[in-house]
Amino acid sequence: MNYMPGTASLIEDIDKKHLVLLRDGRTLIGFLRSIDQFANLVLHQTVERIHVGKKYGDIPRGIFVVRGENVVLLGEIDLEKESDTPLQQVSIEEILEEQRVEQQTRLEAEKLKVQALKDRGLSIPRADTLDEY
Amino acid sequence: MQKCFYLEGLASTFTGVPRQEEWVADLSSQDQVKVKHHQVDLRSGLKTAPWSWTSEVVLETPYEQKCYREAASLEPLSTSSSGPHLNQCPGKSCDPLALEEELMSASQLEEEEENGEGGEELDPDLAPEVEEEEGGEQEENDLGDPAVLSAVHNTQKGLLGSPGFKAPAVLGMSPASLQFLWQVSHSSLHPHALDIALAMKHPNHLTQLHPQHQRILKQQQQQEQLGRPPSPSATKPWSQQPDPYANLMTRKEKDWVVKVQMVQLQSENPCLDDYYYQEYYQKLEKKQADEEIHGRRNRVESLKLVTPYIQKAEAYESVVRIEGSLGQVAVSTCFSPRRAIDAVPHGTQEQETGAASSQRLQVLDWIEKMFLQLLEIEEGQKDGPLQPCDSEQHSNQVEKLFQALKTHKQNTQEEAADGFLQVLSVRKGKALVARLLPFLPQDQAVSLLLTITHHLPLLVRRDVADQALQMLFKPLGKCISHLTFHELLQGLQGLILLPPGSSERPVTVVLQNQFGISLLYALLSHGEQLISLDSSLEEHNRDRTAWTDMVILTAWEIAQMPTASLAEPLAFPSNLLPLFCHHVDKQLVQQLEARRE
Repeated sequence: MNYMPGTASLIEDIDKKHLVLLRDGRTLIGFLRSIDQFANLVLHQTVERIHVGKKYGDIPRGIFVVRGENVVLLGEIDLEKESDTPLQQVSIEEILEEQRVEQQTRLEAEKLKVQALKDRGLSIPRADTLDEY
Repeated sequence: MQKCFYLEGLASTFTGVPRQEEWVADLSSQDQVKVKHHQVDLRSGLKTAPWSWTSEVVLETPYEQKCYREAASLEPLSTSSSGPHLNQCPGKSCDPLALEEELMSASQLEEEEENGEGGEELDPDLAPEVEEEEGGEQEENDLGDPAVLSAVHNTQKGLLGSPGFKAPAVLGMSPASLQFLWQVSHSSLHPHALDIALAMKHPNHLTQLHPQHQRILKQQQQQEQLGRPPSPSATKPWSQQPDPYANLMTRKEKDWVVKVQMVQLQSENPCLDDYYYQEYYQKLEKKQADEEIHGRRNRVESLKLVTPYIQKAEAYESVVRIEGSLGQVAVSTCFSPRRAIDAVPHGTQEQETGAASSQRLQVLDWIEKMFLQLLEIEEGQKDGPLQPCDSEQHSNQVEKLFQALKTHKQNTQEEAADGFLQVLSVRKGKALVARLLPFLPQDQAVSLLLTITHHLPLLVRRDVADQALQMLFKPLGKCISHLTFHELLQGLQGLILLPPGSSERPVTVVLQNQFGISLLYALLSHGEQLISLDSSLEEHNRDRTAWTDMVILTAWEIAQMPTASLAEPLAFPSNLLPLFCHHVDKQLVQQLEARRE
């Protein structure tokens, strides 16, 4: 039943598997069970998927209630095509390790950049978590 | 605790012997709890190692009975899959919560075994039954169930995922019992189809399948009969068995959310507020009507979003003052959900004269007002060919707009042109004039054209950043074709002749700009056309000589200009070269041709 023609509504997405990207960068995959007018989401059998390069790891999380304003985007996952991915699934420990390594290399690169800029008398203000300002 | 219910359930179905109730206090002490006769029963039923905990399961509702029956269908060797032995209930009763859990666990394990995924599968009948039988209270329970279930599921997953079952201590399961579980699931490898086929043959309130599931299974059976293996998509567990957690959000709740959203969408003037959707819908309807006319009988009726019309309550006060209190209470409404402060400007409009920035703002403001008028005119015309009653109103509107364009708070005639030029300096102003020109009567359009032509160098200079004059070319081109020779000459003279006190002709600047050169070419082309058509003009007419002079000068200027700075015209009229041929010498013509390349 088409509830609201001509609009984008989450009603038709209920009970389907979705991938949700949050503002803090996390990727959640779960079944969308319930919504409300603010697009707060209830995700069921949720799995937090961490991607590093070509590998990914799934951490089962259970039920999530996500406040709508923290969602960047979400999209339905085609269950049949879900398994044809070129990515390789690894264990949780491995992916967390990879993530830590990646984070570390990124921080070091950032540090070098900041140092190089400082040497030249420039400074880029650090982007805070509240990036609205 | 949960685990033990599950195993108990399995045990009872496999052996059919009733149990005595024995509650296990905590999982760690399970190994100590041994009930001899249970072990015996198990051994008789299946040749596996004993496991050690039991508890009583009582089936009170038909739903529970059905659960057990389905569980029984998991194991083909089970001797008693019917109800009677399950009805005995000494002692405590097991709530549906635990029942669901054990069944979830059973199907989960089997599922994981078979597919290596974590799809939670319940038997198909459960989902709709749950909805029908229990009311609102159950919905609450359901929410509880999934939480617990997924917790169970996750721990299970963790358990089975780790090789060698490293963490039996977590759930208090001994390795032997886990082994048993594996064997159980291994032994019942066949899909549920057989039992479900049976269920389909004897549909009653206990074996009613979800209609979608029924359809899919029928399809599968047909396929298998034809000898084809079921398609890969059909064998996917998800498509076979309906989601037991489906419709957690009931129809009522969905309607409520939709209602809230609709209320926010209501408007008294949807053609304005929701302009793009209304336009799109009209186009769509028209297309469908055309399709129907062309023979396609069954046209798909596309739905339209109809927002509710709710009588708007009297204008609410978004700021509430309680008597005797200091300050205001922040009331949250649709349009101001988080009203922090009362930030409404109360000051009167200040008139700043002289400041350049404010003047620019004034011009912008003025353009906006004129644009609204233009939109009304366009809207009026869009609705179809003008009715005679409307056309007067239409021309009034156009006239009003034209007057507004021409005179803007300016006192003298000179400044009127200045205001017009200010409008033309803004990109939106250019768009305004370009869109207005088709509506204007000829003389007014010509006056605008002449003003533009007269001030072309200035406009060109101001347009360097935007390069937006191009949009004026097309409407002006149409206007040019209505020019008389005399008017044309007037326009050109302003460009070609040297202004006092300057050695540079205005036309040089014009030639470097694309719009300028295109306009110039268009004017020249029109002049040539007029002359060739109207041979009644005398050869030695003053106008003709002036024209000839201008053509020569223009040609000279073009030839003078280095090719690099000569702009590419938007359109090169075909009669220009012959024109130049007439009046200038061959050398110059060759140079001009070279320029043109």
